[in-house]
Amino acid sequence: MSYLEVKDLKVHFPIKGGVFGRTVAHIKAVDGVNLSIEKGKTYGLVGESGSGKTTTGRAIIGLNNITAGQVIFDGEDITNIRRAKSDARKDVQMIFQDPYSSLNPKKRVMDIISEPLRNFENLSRKEERIRVQELLELVGLSPESILKYPHEFSGGQRQRIGIARAIALKPKLIIADEPVSALDVSVQAQVLNFMKEIQKELDLTYLFISHDLGVIKHMCDEIGIMYKGRYVEEGTAEDIFTNPQHIYTKRLVAAIPDIDPNKREEKRKFREEVKKEYDQSFNDYFDEEGLAYKLQPVSDTHQVALPERG
Amino acid sequence: MWKFSVRRTLIMIPQIFLLSILIFVLAQLMPGDALSGTVDPNVDPERLDEIREQMGWNDPWHEQYARWMGGVLQGDLGQSFRFKMPVTELIGQRIVNSFWLSVATLILTYLIAIPLGITSGRYSDTFRDQLITGYTYVGFATPLFIFALVMLWIFGFQLGWFPTSGSVEPGVEPGTFNYFMSKVYHLLLPALSMALITTYGTIQYLRNEIIDTKQKDFILTARAKGASESRVYNRHIFRNSLLPIAAFFGFEITNLIGGSIFIENIFGYPGMGQLLVESISLRDYTVLTAVTLIFGVASILGALLSDIILSIVDPRIRIK
Amino acid sequence: MENKAEEVKPIKSPSGFSIIWRELVRDKLALISLIFLILIMAFVYGVSLVLDQDEIVTVDLFSIYEPPGEEFILGTDYGGRDVFGQLIIGTRNSLSIAIIVTVLTGIIGVAYGLISGYFGGHIDNIMMRILDFFMILPFTMIVIAFVAIVPKYSITTFSLIMTGFLWMGIARLIRSKALQEKELDYIQASKTLGSSNFKIIFTQLLPNVSSLIIVTMTLNLAANIGLESGLSFLGFGFPESTPSLGTLLSYARNPQTLEFRWWIWVPASIMILLLMLSINNVGQALKRATDARQRRG
Repeated sequence: MSYLEVKDLKVHFPIKGGVFGRTVAHIKAVDGVNLSIEKGKTYGLVGESGSGKTTTGRAIIGLNNITAGQVIFDGEDITNIRRAKSDARKDVQMIFQDPYSSLNPKKRVMDIISEPLRNFENLSRKEERIRVQELLELVGLSPESILKYPHEFSGGQRQRIGIARAIALKPKLIIADEPVSALDVSVQAQVLNFMKEIQKELDLTYLFISHDLGVIKHMCDEIGIMYKGRYVEEGTAEDIFTNPQHIYTKRLVAAIPDIDPNKREEKRKFREEVKKEYDQSFNDYFDEEGLAYKLQPVSDTHQVALPERG
Repeated sequence: MWKFSVRRTLIMIPQIFLLSILIFVLAQLMPGDALSGTVDPNVDPERLDEIREQMGWNDPWHEQYARWMGGVLQGDLGQSFRFKMPVTELIGQRIVNSFWLSVATLILTYLIAIPLGITSGRYSDTFRDQLITGYTYVGFATPLFIFALVMLWIFGFQLGWFPTSGSVEPGVEPGTFNYFMSKVYHLLLPALSMALITTYGTIQYLRNEIIDTKQKDFILTARAKGASESRVYNRHIFRNSLLPIAAFFGFEITNLIGGSIFIENIFGYPGMGQLLVESISLRDYTVLTAVTLIFGVASILGALLSDIILSIVDPRIRIK
Repeated sequence: MENKAEEVKPIKSPSGFSIIWRELVRDKLALISLIFLILIMAFVYGVSLVLDQDEIVTVDLFSIYEPPGEEFILGTDYGGRDVFGQLIIGTRNSLSIAIIVTVLTGIIGVAYGLISGYFGGHIDNIMMRILDFFMILPFTMIVIAFVAIVPKYSITTFSLIMTGFLWMGIARLIRSKALQEKELDYIQASKTLGSSNFKIIFTQLLPNVSSLIIVTMTLNLAANIGLESGLSFLGFGFPESTPSLGTLLSYARNPQTLEFRWWIWVPASIMILLLMLSINNVGQALKRATDARQRRG
């Protein structure tokens, strides 16, 4: 039994037009996504911008309205999580992409981190303060800074504040939406490793959204690849990186830079080959509208979007 | 473009409806009715009730509203019970006077605002600019009626350069050149007083617009191509900045109406604004209702006009 | 080591307001204006405690239209009433009502703007159409019409009528700022952290529009002094028994007074101008201060 299960999720945005501003069409940002995550694992959602990966994450936590489909968390239907009265709202938290806009600039660190505590837990001022200081220490920041403002911190530190806020309620699932892409490369690794540490410590499950396959490789156990609102391929990290089946996945994997300078030429040739293949066989892998087909199982863990045979 | 115009016009219908309801409610709330002021106090109160019944003043409100609206649409604004004449007739000459006052004010406003705004924007942060900005700053903080009083005091009474009330010299034959000149002469001081104070908005808009435009890429390109400075300004910048100004005059109607209430009362100018205040002190409520309705409709139409012109001139402003 | 958290002495950073205050005090013109305003207010409110309003507005037929002199510093009006006393009480009344109206319109406008901007979509659309309607109506006209027909006319009804047609400007400003702010992730974050919409609007969004509110309300205060005195000037503001600055100016609607008895209306004009200019100075300085803060990021 999986811990988080998303069934045939659809998020459509209306397009208004005409004299009376009626809905004339829909943008299908997420169009039939299925995914399931095991407890304590990290699931990576990959895709270019506009592929619907962020919308998927935001729909699960209730920031986008779900048009159709179901979200089940720990055996409980949380499709309407913002309305749910249960603990699910505590248990599912989010880390945002931009550490600059995700912290209220007019609030002190103390108020930012204690916001979830004030919503869900009845603590005295003193208890609250102690908790916030503990959380700050846990994310590696000085507990003295509770009365500072966000603009007094660096990007990496701010993202740590964001993480402290997300873990304040001891959640079980964290949706991390590009948590490091706004940070300097040197800081990225620090934050990622730190996220891994607290995952072990707090037994967290991650839904990790990123466009960066390098980061995903470093973090994830299972991976789903999205293109224009649909899945093109899903599998374990090994499936995806060593045995990509879909041409789109192949191109993504081929594009990961290699640090070994000796292999550079080899890599470049390989990339060109894949690009050629991609251009030639695009129509075999996508339907008339340029969208992905339904997923077909290749192995127990591995599924690929291919046209149905026959 | 037409899609926007249609939608914008459709928005206007509920606006007019809301306005008519508001004014109708106002009229209903007004103390007394047309009879209470006019009739002989010796008339039997029962006879009065009969008349009220006949006139339909005891009908449900929506029937009364429909009747009133029907009358208004046919140009019947009721009977003034002070002047004992149809309101439409009473308003006729006043509306013409107010119209010319507004036109004169608008012309003066643009005559002042455009050169000052352009100078201020083109030579920004020079002494000239600071003087003009200072003027707009004081203009912004000075209430119109105080300024108008001071103007009247200085130029009307102390220096005696301008007439201190009326819209025309009494006894001058209508239709003659003298009549026309006398009208202009009477208009000048009120219009100038209003223009000098209300112009600050246009000056500030132009200044900001020009300062904005002159750092845009296409201007830098024009300069880099060797266009002379005056050519850059005349051909590129002004055209971009002046068009929206021309469209704003519709929005100005609301301000002009507000201003004219003060100006006409201070300068004793017989227009709609003066009529509004008079009708209240005379408790001539049909006139009050009519003037309010006309002012309201004029403002709504002005906003409509400006929105549509602006959407043609400057697509950025187009609301959805 | 258990109580370590308690021993830690937090470093407190200056709040946004204290920074704005510092910038404001550094601006000389604004500082002078502010001191002037404080002095005027202290004087006017202080003296009017001692002054007897009834005595000042009592008609004294033996001293009609006295020019300024030893007995009456600023002369008397057509009822023989002391202009100086009326000036003080008028300033107090004008200021008070301007402050009341500014606060009331501020509360309504901010709430309206925040709700409209935060929820967006259909709610915003409908709320903005209503606002547009109010905005199009000429303010002076509609207020005059209401003042004329309200049955029990008093200072309360007057301020309510003014408020009813003055909340739109600030509402529109706040709404467009709220529209921008609500797209930022901190608002989204609050939603995921379990805060209700109401809580987000008033504890997360509100602090981020606070500087805009302060600047706008300061500038509105100046404008409201002008509007109130204008209405009183036309005879649709304070009743004559409660003089305002506009009441003193309304005597100048009599050409004789305008032409020959400057002492009745000129001091009140100067007072209005000084008040409006200095409040505007403070408001503009606040505006610059908050902008500078944004630049520093």
